[in-house]
Amino acid sequence: MVVPFVWMVLTSLKTLGDSTQVPPVIIPRKWNWSNYAEVIAALPFLKFYWNTIVTTAAKTAGQLLLCSMAAYAFARFRFPGRHFLFIVALSVLMVPGQVFLIPQYMIMKHLGWLNSLLALIVPGLFSAFGTFLLRQFFMTLPKELEEAAKMDGCNPFGVFWKIMLPQARSGLIALGIFVILWSWNDLMWPMIVINSPDKMPLSVGLASLQGEHTTNYPILMAGSLLAIWPLIVIYILFQRHFIEGIAFTGSK
Amino acid sequence: MDKRRYRYDKNELFWAYLMIAPTMLGLALFYVWPVLQTFFYTFTKWGAFNNYQLTGFDNYKHLLTDQNLLKAFRNTFLFIALSVPISIFLSIVVAVLLNQKVRGLSVYRTIYYLPVVTMPAAIAMVWKWLYNADYGLINYLLSLVHIRGPQWLTDPRIAMYSVIVVAIWSSIGSNMIIFLSGLQGISSTYYEAASIDGASPLRKFWMITLPLLTPTVFFVAVVSLIGGFQVFDLIFMMVVGSSAGTATTPAIDTTQTVVYLFYRYAFMLNNKGYAATVAMVLFVIILAVTYVQMKLQKNGFTTNRRLVGWLLALMAPGAGRRHYSFTSF
Amino acid sequence: MEQIVSKFKETHPNIDVKVELTPNKQYWSKMETAAAGDQLPDVFWMNGPRIVKFAANGQLLPISDQIKADKVDMSNYPEALVKLYTVNGKNYGIPKDYDTIGLWYNKKMFDEAGVKYPDESWDWNALLDAAKKLTNPAKGVWGIAAALDSQGVYYNMIPQNGGYVISDDKKTSGYDKPEAIEALKFWTDLITVYKVSPTQAQMTDTEPMQLFTSGKVAMYFDGSWDAIEYSKNEYTKDKVNVAVWPQGKKRAAVIHGLANVIAAKTKHPKEAWEFVKFLGSKEAADIQAKTGTVIPAYKGTESAWVNSMPNFNLKAFIDMVAYSVPYPVSKDTSKWTTVETEQFTKAWSGQIKIEDAAKEVAKQMNGFLAQEQ
Repeated sequence: MVVPFVWMVLTSLKTLGDSTQVPPVIIPRKWNWSNYAEVIAALPFLKFYWNTIVTTAAKTAGQLLLCSMAAYAFARFRFPGRHFLFIVALSVLMVPGQVFLIPQYMIMKHLGWLNSLLALIVPGLFSAFGTFLLRQFFMTLPKELEEAAKMDGCNPFGVFWKIMLPQARSGLIALGIFVILWSWNDLMWPMIVINSPDKMPLSVGLASLQGEHTTNYPILMAGSLLAIWPLIVIYILFQRHFIEGIAFTGSK
Repeated sequence: MDKRRYRYDKNELFWAYLMIAPTMLGLALFYVWPVLQTFFYTFTKWGAFNNYQLTGFDNYKHLLTDQNLLKAFRNTFLFIALSVPISIFLSIVVAVLLNQKVRGLSVYRTIYYLPVVTMPAAIAMVWKWLYNADYGLINYLLSLVHIRGPQWLTDPRIAMYSVIVVAIWSSIGSNMIIFLSGLQGISSTYYEAASIDGASPLRKFWMITLPLLTPTVFFVAVVSLIGGFQVFDLIFMMVVGSSAGTATTPAIDTTQTVVYLFYRYAFMLNNKGYAATVAMVLFVIILAVTYVQMKLQKNGFTTNRRLVGWLLALMAPGAGRRHYSFTSF
Repeated sequence: MEQIVSKFKETHPNIDVKVELTPNKQYWSKMETAAAGDQLPDVFWMNGPRIVKFAANGQLLPISDQIKADKVDMSNYPEALVKLYTVNGKNYGIPKDYDTIGLWYNKKMFDEAGVKYPDESWDWNALLDAAKKLTNPAKGVWGIAAALDSQGVYYNMIPQNGGYVISDDKKTSGYDKPEAIEALKFWTDLITVYKVSPTQAQMTDTEPMQLFTSGKVAMYFDGSWDAIEYSKNEYTKDKVNVAVWPQGKKRAAVIHGLANVIAAKTKHPKEAWEFVKFLGSKEAADIQAKTGTVIPAYKGTESAWVNSMPNFNLKAFIDMVAYSVPYPVSKDTSKWTTVETEQFTKAWSGQIKIEDAAKEVAKQMNGFLAQEQ
């Protein structure tokens, strides 16, 4: 299981010559850090980090807020059209992503958002999945606390904000983890809407690295490691939440 | 349920609409409207730089004679037929092993889960390197036992299987976690009773673990199946290359998948009308699969479980299988 | 490029230029996407296959009037290139550079195999003979990389054999003519019959250029634009050299070059023109030549490029201009080149016969060309 990762690290520290030896040099003869320097020189990796982090943070925060609001309304309020709107949201989930892509691209074009981070962020703020997941979660929470707060004259939004959100912490974390994972690693949509290097997220940056250095593996491996380490570190630090998040969606 | 006319609370109404409005408007603009738009595009032909004109049913007629699409479906089915069951089987095995009171459980769990948090583009690259016929580690190891390794990713007969191995490798982690939580939900009293009867571990697995795990297996299967229909990243990065509009790999015929073809038509060859038609076909197939599975499993599970299953399935990355993933939700 | 820009800023202090570099291999697909999304930069590079498509669809600013007004002398650039960037009688770009293809070879491998270096006298048979002698399966080395490469290979070989890719009136494909098929077959036979080249599968796994720069392949056809790459590479800088294309029935070599063009939707047409004019000047060409990246299109500045890398016989690239043929393009070039690559991939890897592939390409290409008329 770990061999690919170990090989990635080892290769990233080899010279091109060492990497194409037969039989292969397993441990680099000379620890060659210049591949990292070369990657950073070839592509604006710092920009890639920035773009990825901004996009991921905005999408995560946005989805958590918007989805939890909608989810709460669907879970607790009665209003005309509730059933219909909920079915509409659900049916969005039945459609494979490819069906949205071309029109989404055209919308971005008309809004003049192509090649900007807005194109990466805005469509990702709205999520039928997140709404549904959190609605399910809210439904399992007891109503007593809310009732009490209502008695105290708190308005519905206040109840949601002060009482419900704190209780829904684990559901929010689960959704947040998914959004982070998808956003960080998504390839196709950014590839479609972004075309200048200073707006690229890491995933597209990596694809263009491959486009340039097709088979220069030490460089490619160095680039890959630069792109994946932040998420791996986050994962190791918050492992428990990740595991619970996955298990949570599996058991609901 | 209260059947009488419900008196809505005005204040509550106001807040309810306010709270659902952003999400519903966003969904309508970016998801609902595009479905209609894509359907409209299936009747259009695109010229240079996104001008299009109506062409009636031409795209649908083309579907019937498109050899590439036929191949893409064949390849996609092969991908699903192998990767889904094998991944599920291996994940269960790993989950059962890790469910024992093993030392260093969390270390193993971390290791198996690593591929799930790793960018598919990076996974594809390192495997491409491992598979390299001349300098790759795999062929070197084979050469130690005097086997001349094949061209893993460029031989048309082998390439798809090589990709499937990577798909399985990277999906075991998330599936295993789900199975592990399923296993932990099985009461130990069953096992204790079986032990008293003198059942072997293997027998316990068949008689207790597997039947009680069936709902979880079903869930993972749905997720994987529908995710499998959308496989793209791995194929794109490992086999067909990421630069040119036309791949020069000899393995293209046996590895192109439906979504790869969609991407190629839509964004490389600027044939968006036909690409939209391909997307609609995929939509119909996924609907059909969903319908069949609902029928098959009608009595097995609660509505919620089934629904979430679908959701996650359509979201593919939901269970962490992001390498099938697609757009940003 | 940065040097040129800073030079430009010296003389035009009030124009701000922001340079955006796109990785080479994605540049063209990015430009297509950018054009489709109205995101084109003010000034950018254009190539032959796309010029008609971009110009005819109103993506580019015609610059004939500016050329006349500012008295820019177009005879300073190779005629074939000026013509390439003239659509419906209007100029759309000022040629920036040009490139031809040469036979790069590994001197060390030639010495070891006792084969004479390629020179002007070589023909196809000499190429084949040498490739046979240089191939050594036991050592895992090949005489030549028979790459699937249009500009690098068969756009040269087909005219060398008396054929053509596209007729002068852009109405018919030459791929089903015996001359073209014979040329293609000579090339694919290197892989499938003589086995003096790695297979197409191997060349997909590891790029031919990388096989060449790691001493696995003794001969490789590559453009003048990669000279700088070979001069920087530790292994190749003192081990390789370059010669002109071996001749077939006659001498021929495909020529291509980029031009600087202006987006039709630019918000700064005046400033963009000033910049394009500067990029086409002798001053800019000289800077370009010294860096060695490409052969500048401005007449008389080539020698600086040739002298920039004395290790290599770069003059070969300039010599070929004398008998060069234009790069085959039509209005929607990519339509038929897609089919070309698709079919030839199968032929190169031995899945179908090259004759059948060529005839299929011709059939489809003729269909596309008919639609263009």
